[in-house]
Amino acid sequence: MFRPLRVVVAAASALLLATACNSASSGGTAASSVRGVTADTIKVGGIVSMTTASGYSKKDTDLGARARYDRANAEGGINGRRIEYLGAEDDGQDPAKNLAAARKLVQRDQVFAVSPMSSVTFAGADFLDAQKVPTVGWGTLPSFCGPAHIYGFNGCLVPMPGGTLNQTWPESLAAVLGGARGKSVALIAGDNDAGKFGIRTFTQGFKAAGFQVPYAKAVVPATSMPSDWSAYTKEILRSGPGGGAPDAVVSVMQTPYNIGLFTALKRSGYKGVLSDPTDYDPGLLAKDATKQALDGVHVLLQFQPFESDSPAMRQFKDDIRKAAGGKDVPLNMHMMTGYMSADLFLAIAARAGKDLTVDSFQKAADGFSDTGTLVGDRAEPRGKKESFGCGALVRLKDGRYEVAVPFKCYPPIPFA
Amino acid sequence: MGDLLGFVLSGLVSGALYALLATGLVLSSSASGLFNFAHGATAYLCALAFYELHSGFGWPAVPTALLLVLAVAPGLGWALDRLMFRKLAKVGETAQIVATIGLLVALPAAGRWAVELLERAGAPVLPAENQFGLPGVGPSPAVSWQPLDGVGIDSDQLITWIATALAAVALWVLMRHTRLGLRLRAAVDDRTLTELRGISADRLSSIAWMLSSGLAGLAGVLATPLLGLSAHDYTLFLFVSATAAVLGRFLSVPLAFAGGLGLGVLQNLVAGYASFTDDLTGFRTAVPFLILFAGLVVLTRRGRAAGTAAAVPPPVDYLAGRGRGRRRGAWVVAAVLLGAAFYTVTTPFWSGILAQGLAIGIVFMSFTVVTGLGAMVSLAQATFVTAAALVAGLLMSHGWPFAAAAAAGTALAALLGAVAALAALRLGGRALALATLALAFLADQVLFQLGWLRNGDTGWEIPRPVAGPVDLGDDRALGLALVLLSALAVAALTWLRGSRWGRAMLAVRSAPEAAAASGVSVVRTKLLLFTVSAGLAGFGGVLYASYNTRVTATDFTAMTGLVWLAVVVAAGVRRPQFAVVAGLVFAVVPHLMTQYVTESAHLPVILFGLAGLALANDPDGYCAALPSRRAARRAATGPGEPQGPSAKGEPEPKAGPVPRAEPVPEPGPEPGGVPSPRPPAPAIGGGLAEAAPALELGGVHAGYGGAPVLHGVDLVVRGGEALVLLGPNGAGKSTLCRVAAGLLRPAAGLVRVRGGDATRDTAVARARRGVRLAPEGRGIFAGLSIDENLALQLTEPDDRDAVYARFPALAARRTVLAGSLSGGEQQLLALAPLLQRPPAVLVADEPSLGLAPRVVDEVFGLLAELRSHGTALLLVEEKAAEVLGIADTVAYLAQGEIAWSGPRAEVDRDRLADAYLGTGARR
Repeated sequence: MFRPLRVVVAAASALLLATACNSASSGGTAASSVRGVTADTIKVGGIVSMTTASGYSKKDTDLGARARYDRANAEGGINGRRIEYLGAEDDGQDPAKNLAAARKLVQRDQVFAVSPMSSVTFAGADFLDAQKVPTVGWGTLPSFCGPAHIYGFNGCLVPMPGGTLNQTWPESLAAVLGGARGKSVALIAGDNDAGKFGIRTFTQGFKAAGFQVPYAKAVVPATSMPSDWSAYTKEILRSGPGGGAPDAVVSVMQTPYNIGLFTALKRSGYKGVLSDPTDYDPGLLAKDATKQALDGVHVLLQFQPFESDSPAMRQFKDDIRKAAGGKDVPLNMHMMTGYMSADLFLAIAARAGKDLTVDSFQKAADGFSDTGTLVGDRAEPRGKKESFGCGALVRLKDGRYEVAVPFKCYPPIPFA
Repeated sequence: MGDLLGFVLSGLVSGALYALLATGLVLSSSASGLFNFAHGATAYLCALAFYELHSGFGWPAVPTALLLVLAVAPGLGWALDRLMFRKLAKVGETAQIVATIGLLVALPAAGRWAVELLERAGAPVLPAENQFGLPGVGPSPAVSWQPLDGVGIDSDQLITWIATALAAVALWVLMRHTRLGLRLRAAVDDRTLTELRGISADRLSSIAWMLSSGLAGLAGVLATPLLGLSAHDYTLFLFVSATAAVLGRFLSVPLAFAGGLGLGVLQNLVAGYASFTDDLTGFRTAVPFLILFAGLVVLTRRGRAAGTAAAVPPPVDYLAGRGRGRRRGAWVVAAVLLGAAFYTVTTPFWSGILAQGLAIGIVFMSFTVVTGLGAMVSLAQATFVTAAALVAGLLMSHGWPFAAAAAAGTALAALLGAVAALAALRLGGRALALATLALAFLADQVLFQLGWLRNGDTGWEIPRPVAGPVDLGDDRALGLALVLLSALAVAALTWLRGSRWGRAMLAVRSAPEAAAASGVSVVRTKLLLFTVSAGLAGFGGVLYASYNTRVTATDFTAMTGLVWLAVVVAAGVRRPQFAVVAGLVFAVVPHLMTQYVTESAHLPVILFGLAGLALANDPDGYCAALPSRRAARRAATGPGEPQGPSAKGEPEPKAGPVPRAEPVPEPGPEPGGVPSPRPPAPAIGGGLAEAAPALELGGVHAGYGGAPVLHGVDLVVRGGEALVLLGPNGAGKSTLCRVAAGLLRPAAGLVRVRGGDATRDTAVARARRGVRLAPEGRGIFAGLSIDENLALQLTEPDDRDAVYARFPALAARRTVLAGSLSGGEQQLLALAPLLQRPPAVLVADEPSLGLAPRVVDEVFGLLAELRSHGTALLLVEEKAAEVLGIADTVAYLAQGEIAWSGPRAEVDRDRLADAYLGTGARR
């Protein structure tokens, strides 16, 4: 070994030994006060994908959360404490940035909680849970299902082994078709692990609701969208009973894929029901091409449709308008995500009482429940295992969404 | 049947876009020899601009599209060529690849930033987010027809077909029927020869870049309705179309175009008929990359297989000869300080960031091995990282201890590295880079989709190791452990470089054939390089995952690997320490930027992307920039540098009475000179009695990279006379020709053409002064037809007709490729246009090489005719016999000096023998 190297090794080993004892005693540096909570404020941060190479942005999540926190503050805060919302960190859909954002919020900004957290990656989950940071976000990732401190605003949306399946989609489609008996559904998804998983769960769900599922495939190239869909539409249109078309085609894919698939199906003369879970975005109505491509499509959503006229929805619209500086901005799903993430946090924090600590927050969450919110009936810790199970179907018609099946909660079935 | 037709027709839509992109790739790559990873980013930028101008500013669609495709995109290509690629062409393939990867991220970020700035300035722009169903050039929504049952097309598809067909026709006309196209094809065929003909290849490469960008712009505008505004999708689209460029071997535009169309159709057919693959998750997604990989392995010619990104020899070590203290001292101190800092000054946040940087630094060291030592570009490093971390996580979930799981993961990564090495055995340079990229995508889309390996989106937990009292769960302890591990890895790699294997790697990198000849196994060496590199990446990956405490299959994608390469190469791949610096910079700088410089997410990305630009000036990276510049300065001014022959203690040729190759002997040193038929010439620079000599070399010293070849050569050739330069192999004849033609700039001495100082001329400028070099071998463009070869030099049809009248053999075969002619015919073809338009000076390097005696006579007859037209001939030959027939003056070149010169009449056997045996070199 080279001499300088020997020196390094010796010096570093000494350091390591010295610090080994040190590290055992570290971690307990927190002061007596609770991180991020003062006598009259609660510090909260957020993590949201805003700028990405794929151009996909959830940045309105931030606006939604701000709207809800603003109202809470206007109403006098939570048990007398104002919410100090730091705004959302941009993770750019990058796992490394997601973790770095979580670390920054906790270690530098000293937040009490993270809400909203909405991204396609949640690398910071383990860190946030280990640091006991209450976190609320969009439960599309497995990290929202299980860890003690992490909550999905409408529950955990990833069916877990031994858990349950949310039947909103099959049941409400059955309502559209006038019953599931004797009706056939074709399911299609992207050619990757997630697509395969989606096909597996929805096949079970639709069969349990009484549908026949003659076609269920995860076959569409997942990274480069096909410019031509005829290969898929031909197979689908011949898959139904007797070689005919199925009664409904259900796509478990993203908007651009749905546009391509549905356009191709309609051009081939398909007259059945088309449905997908992602295209509830009033922004899509702004463009003629998307408006036409998605015309007649039934879209699943897991919160109350903006078209509904409940007091909660009026309140939501009012809050968003205020947070946007008094302007009428087009509403979208991400605003709802942010708004309801903030709402769940506030509801639990309010229940925790004046003495807000992580422990009291967790205790308040355990056994928490309320009803009639924009995402239906909420309950913890049930939400860590399954979705709240509520949803609606809207139909795009003549350039407007209209409620096809009103917002309702359905009992889940066991997931095999 | 209807199915098949439908699949084919609609496959032609994406096929058309592939074809446009592939054609652009071929154009830019043949113009400047690099694969432009940023080609898709250019397309994206045009799509974004089209969207903003059309939908935001409300400009009409068609004029906007035309403006973008015909003006803006070509302008971008021109600017990039001028600012970047022209400089980068000189610093090796790795730097070029990295620079375009930098652009790949910088260009889209710049576009989005511009939109952000415009928005702030109050312009009516729309947010640059990805959207669907964007309007294209045609009506929106698209109008659709159903001409046949089951076959539907819409207006966007139709527009794509028509525009692509128009572009193809325009390109064909340009390339086949215009002077510019002819020159472009000539430059692709033989860049140097083009310059020797006085045509600036640099300008042609600018034009090729403009065309290439224009095609990318066209693809971008056409693809807007299909791809929306996702820079990522455009880049993926580009990688697929690279397959088509490979089909065209990066040279043939028509092949690439056809390949692109075929690729689209093939992809559609696979989608339509490959139902047998339903069980293999990801197979359909991976089809284009399978084709890319197979195409590369099958179609790439073995020529450059050595693979090695470079004819770049390993750079000179600026610390060579320094003591260990000087080489390592600063690094040791830095490591100790960093280790100490964890427990003294850094906050928990920064401890975490630094630990993260150190972990990624170990991954980055894998680039030091494969790219720094082996000079091969691997874009699959992220795959090794993911594979190792997933396997380690899987094993730990079964209760394996951390160390054993990490070892198993590392071993698996090394195994995958061996697979990648198989590609490296056959491929090199950009082909290898693309092949490893294809492998990375294949792994992402097939291997890492295996449910039991990836465990869904949950991935695997990788708890931080705890050994006795040392709990690495604490960021500070982890950081310190990583400092130690990094130091160990650096020491091991430094040792590897100096070891027998390291020398074998350097040998294989510089000259694989020579390495093989001296008993170094190329196969084993490359396998070793890749396995060590992949193993290191895997080990670093496990550590990085343990910093995160979890790994999922999507944490490190193929695209991550691209960015990593750029980050590491920007810092430098020469020494492993630089990789650690790169890792720390990668982790720390973004946070410093957001804290102190800008909140915008785009600006740091742009700056990072432009780091590639810096490589043009400091190809060794920023870590080595300062010391290596200082070392270069020292070397330039230091006393040890051999600047001329004097360094070797030889007498300065100018000092003594040196013979001159002039038609007449100078009065003085050569007694008994035979009177020449022409009046005596004045000495150099003296008087104005006569017209200046056509070509004049004075005291020329020249050589290659510190190896001097010519040691002070003086020559004068006048119009209408022939100077024959004889000399044995290795005397420096070809070097002299290169100096005369301007291909090589002399280290000292001067070159005059017709009295004007031409010493600092480029080859193009020299050719424009009237100096023509007929290089060794044949001075023709083998890939062009006879007619095109002539047309390059004779723009007037009359001139060409005159040539054909004189050489009926050429006239009969004017459309035949010049490369298929016999040696004699090729030489005739090279000389024929000169007879029509005689140049001031013709330098012919071994014009009789490899020709039959009868043909040699004919060639010398033509040369004599040229002389009678007033051309000054400088004929260089190894064999004296025939050429002496037309010589007026003869000079012998031996060991880089003129050994003797004099009139033809004085040449005799003894002198020849002296010259060839070298005994006459220094009398």
